[in-house]
Amino acid sequence: MALFSVFQTTFLLALLSLRTYQSEVLSEPLPWAPESLRVFINSTHQCLHLQWSVHNLAHHQELKMVFQIEISRIKTSNVIWVENYSTTVKWNQVLHWSWESKLPLECAKHFIRMRSAVDDAKTPEQSFWSNWSSWEEVHVQNSLGHDPFFVFPKDKLVEEGSNVTICYVSRSQPNNISCYLEGVRMQGEQLEPNVSVFNLNHVAFIRETGTNIYCKGDQGDSIKGIVLFVSKVLEEPKDFSCETQDLTTLNCTWDPRSDTGLLKQLSQSYTLFESFSGKKTLCKHKSWCSWEVAPESQEMYNFTLTAENYLRKRSVHLLFNLTHRVHPMAPFSVLFTDVSATNATMTWKVHTTGNYYTLLCQVELYGEGEVIQRNVSVEVDGKQLFGGLKPDTEYRAQVRCANANHFWKWSEWTRQNFTTAEAAPSEAPDVWRNVKSVQGHSVVTLFWKPLSKLQANGKILFYNIVIENLDRSSISKLLSIPAPANGTELNLDQCLYQIHVTANNSVGTSPASVIIVSGDPGNKEVEEERVKGMEDGFSLSWKPQPGNVTGYIVEWCDHPRGPLCDLQWKSVGPTTTSTVVSSDAFRPGVQYNFRIYGISTERVPYLLEKKTGYSQELAPSDNPQVVMSNLTSRSFTLSWKDYSIESQPSFIQGYHVYLKSKAGQCHSGSEKAVLSDDAVCCKYRIDNPKQKTFVVENLQPESFYEFLVTPYTSVGEGPHGAFTKVTTPDEYSPILIRIILPMVFCILLIMIICYLKSQWMKEKCYPDIPDPYKSSVLSLIKSKENPRLTIMSIKDCVPDSIEVLNKQEGTRKSLTETESSKATYLYLLPTEKSYSGPGPCICFENFTYNQAASDSASCGHVPVAPVAPLSQLGLLTSPENLLKALEKNYMNSLGEIPAGETNLNYVSQLASAMSGDKFILPTNPPEPALCSEYKMQMAIPLGLASPPSSGSSSLSSVTLLDEGEHYH
Amino acid sequence: MRAQLMRRTLPSLVLGLLFLSTPAMGSCLDKYQELLAQLQKQADIMQRTSLLLDPYIQSQGLDKDGLKEHCRERPGAFPSRDALQGLGRWEFLRTLDTTLGRVLHRLTALQRDIPKAQDLETLNRAKQNIRGFKNNIHCMAQLLPGSSETTEPTPTDPGTSPSPTPTSDTFQRRLEGCRFLHGYHRFMHSVGQVFREWGESPSRSRRHSPHQGLWKGTRRMQLSRKNKRLLPRGQLPR
Repeated sequence: MALFSVFQTTFLLALLSLRTYQSEVLSEPLPWAPESLRVFINSTHQCLHLQWSVHNLAHHQELKMVFQIEISRIKTSNVIWVENYSTTVKWNQVLHWSWESKLPLECAKHFIRMRSAVDDAKTPEQSFWSNWSSWEEVHVQNSLGHDPFFVFPKDKLVEEGSNVTICYVSRSQPNNISCYLEGVRMQGEQLEPNVSVFNLNHVAFIRETGTNIYCKGDQGDSIKGIVLFVSKVLEEPKDFSCETQDLTTLNCTWDPRSDTGLLKQLSQSYTLFESFSGKKTLCKHKSWCSWEVAPESQEMYNFTLTAENYLRKRSVHLLFNLTHRVHPMAPFSVLFTDVSATNATMTWKVHTTGNYYTLLCQVELYGEGEVIQRNVSVEVDGKQLFGGLKPDTEYRAQVRCANANHFWKWSEWTRQNFTTAEAAPSEAPDVWRNVKSVQGHSVVTLFWKPLSKLQANGKILFYNIVIENLDRSSISKLLSIPAPANGTELNLDQCLYQIHVTANNSVGTSPASVIIVSGDPGNKEVEEERVKGMEDGFSLSWKPQPGNVTGYIVEWCDHPRGPLCDLQWKSVGPTTTSTVVSSDAFRPGVQYNFRIYGISTERVPYLLEKKTGYSQELAPSDNPQVVMSNLTSRSFTLSWKDYSIESQPSFIQGYHVYLKSKAGQCHSGSEKAVLSDDAVCCKYRIDNPKQKTFVVENLQPESFYEFLVTPYTSVGEGPHGAFTKVTTPDEYSPILIRIILPMVFCILLIMIICYLKSQWMKEKCYPDIPDPYKSSVLSLIKSKENPRLTIMSIKDCVPDSIEVLNKQEGTRKSLTETESSKATYLYLLPTEKSYSGPGPCICFENFTYNQAASDSASCGHVPVAPVAPLSQLGLLTSPENLLKALEKNYMNSLGEIPAGETNLNYVSQLASAMSGDKFILPTNPPEPALCSEYKMQMAIPLGLASPPSSGSSSLSSVTLLDEGEHYH
Repeated sequence: MRAQLMRRTLPSLVLGLLFLSTPAMGSCLDKYQELLAQLQKQADIMQRTSLLLDPYIQSQGLDKDGLKEHCRERPGAFPSRDALQGLGRWEFLRTLDTTLGRVLHRLTALQRDIPKAQDLETLNRAKQNIRGFKNNIHCMAQLLPGSSETTEPTPTDPGTSPSPTPTSDTFQRRLEGCRFLHGYHRFMHSVGQVFREWGESPSRSRRHSPHQGLWKGTRRMQLSRKNKRLLPRGQLPR
């Protein structure tokens, strides 16, 4: 096999060499060489169009020839294209050949030449190439204007995704030209010194008006550009179909697919060609075209639809029988006759499409969610009777038809509406009542639900209410309530009433709804149960009643929190003991209360059960307002009496009391809890929602606490909002306050009293000059009726001498003013002037003399001696005791008096511990403490006075300050 | 998109309403001030580039850097503001009428390069507005003294006046169209200013006085002829 191939190749090479040799050696021109070669330029399509002829052909001679065409660019040696063009040449024929350049022809010079050869079996001896024709030069640049530069190709139309070559030609050699594609600079390559080319690959569709490509010189003032029209690829039409409605015109439609996106003048066109008739029409529209059916009865049609634009052509075909493509026109004159409450007759007409065509019509009737469908065979007019319709109901009827023999398509629907006549309401209204007792009367509010459209059978105009007094059967009352009222209020007495309610429309009256109302609302106390709501409402169930009941009614308020309760009810049959109550008004977090009534055979409702619940429980949104009281160092009390558990968004199960303290220790009854802010506190739990007080105990005095009371429910507890701060007081402060305050008060009271009664007190307790006549001793003596007892008068005394010391001249002061003035003392001094030694200071104040002594010796003085020891004097704090103490000192000083001088009759009443200082008194007045003031002296009857004791004591004066002390 | 549509159509609607108040041809508004105010408003609206230029630039893809700056009015394409202000009233109206007639023809030529029906509708509305404006110019000319020299109102038909020969180069034609529209809007702006000057100082300039024609009609005609003689055909004074 390989050997054969080598032999064949060698043979062909030898033959070719022989022919070349013949052409060169013979060098005679071929008689059928191409002549008169002319080149034409089509810049728009970038085409070179060649035209030539072959001479020397005999008349009617036909010769198969091959023309070899060579195209060079820029220079002849740069051959860019060689093609052999084979054709049959006739006598005197002008031959044509075209070549499309990828580079715009303006961008460079082109050179064309050709030669020919006979490729005909009839003249095998001429089968060698002729000489080349001379080069034909194509230089378009010469015909350009005088602008500085140009851009090519102008207005080129390409398909999306094509490759395009752009060039600019500059007049000046050193050029600085920049080119842009939609504002983006392009990078090109230099073809010649004044020509640059830009290759665009896979150009994209940008807009219908084409892509702007432009170049600008370095000065920027000149701009040249082109518009490249990029078309989307033309697609084959889809869903090509033809049909007729009247057998005279065919309407052909198709889906043109995506638009090529070009200007209208560049967009594709559609032509319709029918092969049997050979007719062709240019369609005016992109998606449909009309075709006149031939008057002669042509049944078969073979259509070719061609979509074509400058770049592409697409065709689809369709073969069909005309009678099988009948699409009837929609029926018309659809009417309804004999329309009653339940029946109606429908009639319609159809367009004739020929005498021999029968149409199948489809009739549909829509009303109240129901569809009635009928099929009717029709030639000219159609008719259909509908029965069993609903009164006062709007129906929509529609009819369409199709060719009954060869079904192709239904016609369009023709629609018509009609409404059936009204009928009397078929159902009694659903009635319920609400009874309130007001001042011995019953206020009955009747409610009824509007009848549904199906029950009303027309527009309800009014409701009739007949009130019949069962206790006095002769009395009845009729009320007419205009629609659309759904209730009325009646004031009745305590009698038993039977109320009939009927709904009325223009045709008649509904059956009556009867309810018995009495003064007793029938709301006996029953225990309320809790129910759990569901997504679709509340599922309620109740115990079946042992007696005969005609039904049950569940009553509730849609808006229990609102001022209008919006009473709702639901009636169920006597055998039903459960139902699901649902309402669009139910909201999460709202407590709904349900009452279940049984209706007795006497139609008297009575309360059976109460239910309460939430459609969805929500966590409490508020915490109670807590009041703190009884704050002690160890405890305080919290109370939230005003917190209503009924108006909360869920059932309150109890309360949590949170207590924060610095100590962080929780006592029994509480547990540690960690709040959301990671704070640790003690939590007390109150499980009784009605318990609204709590005592927080076991606190530390003088400590800071924070507390929060929040309710808890099955879905969570209230917000952990702001805690209330409290600081416990000091532990002893209350006790001290409890003691000190009364004491201070008492002291103050005493002081006030003393101040107010100071004069009286003074007179009573410590008068400035004691009045002997007022002496209680005297009164005592007088009470003994001792006439001998009297008051010693000073004039009766014969003193030895009286020396007045420290007398202030010009000043007359009362002796009671001892505090503000210097004390005036009368000293009884011995007569002997020689006496200069220290002696007792005797202060003469006031004396009460012993009557006996007075009697025995004029102004005789009984020598006095201390009567009692110091220990018997009592407290020194009292003025009396102080005086006693002074007396004791005085007596001691007496004891120092020499025995020979004991005849002195005067006894000094002034105790003086500094008796020896009497000579320095003028300069050093005696201190009040040392020389006390006067003391009340009393003359004591002898019988009552104790005899002078020998040695140990001597009675000079006895101060009877306390009888209880001195009377033994 | 809706906002853009509103931006385009609203001024046209306003103009339409203005034209509704304009009497039909043959029954002009005979109140000078009202007609002048109407012409001012129309000119103010027609100067808006959103009516014609902006949609054109967008539809032709000229809204690119390097192209926009070449969309400038060619000198001499439309009379300059100074030239318009220098004209007498009657001459001004005649120039305005002539220029708008050219604009109408040019807009007709631009139609074939506008693919979108929406843009075409905008263009047609603009043409209707120009025709209405020309009618108002006619009415104003009738109010000026010497009204016998006024031209006939613009017919609804574009007429047979030759449109400027557009170049076969689509790109150049596109740029020229853009420049033309730019010049048109600028021209209408100048026209509005001139009308405003008419309203502001009816007797400031003798040349602008409506009574001028009573005694200057002959001279005005001479000026008009002089202008025509000095300027080459198709070139308007600036």
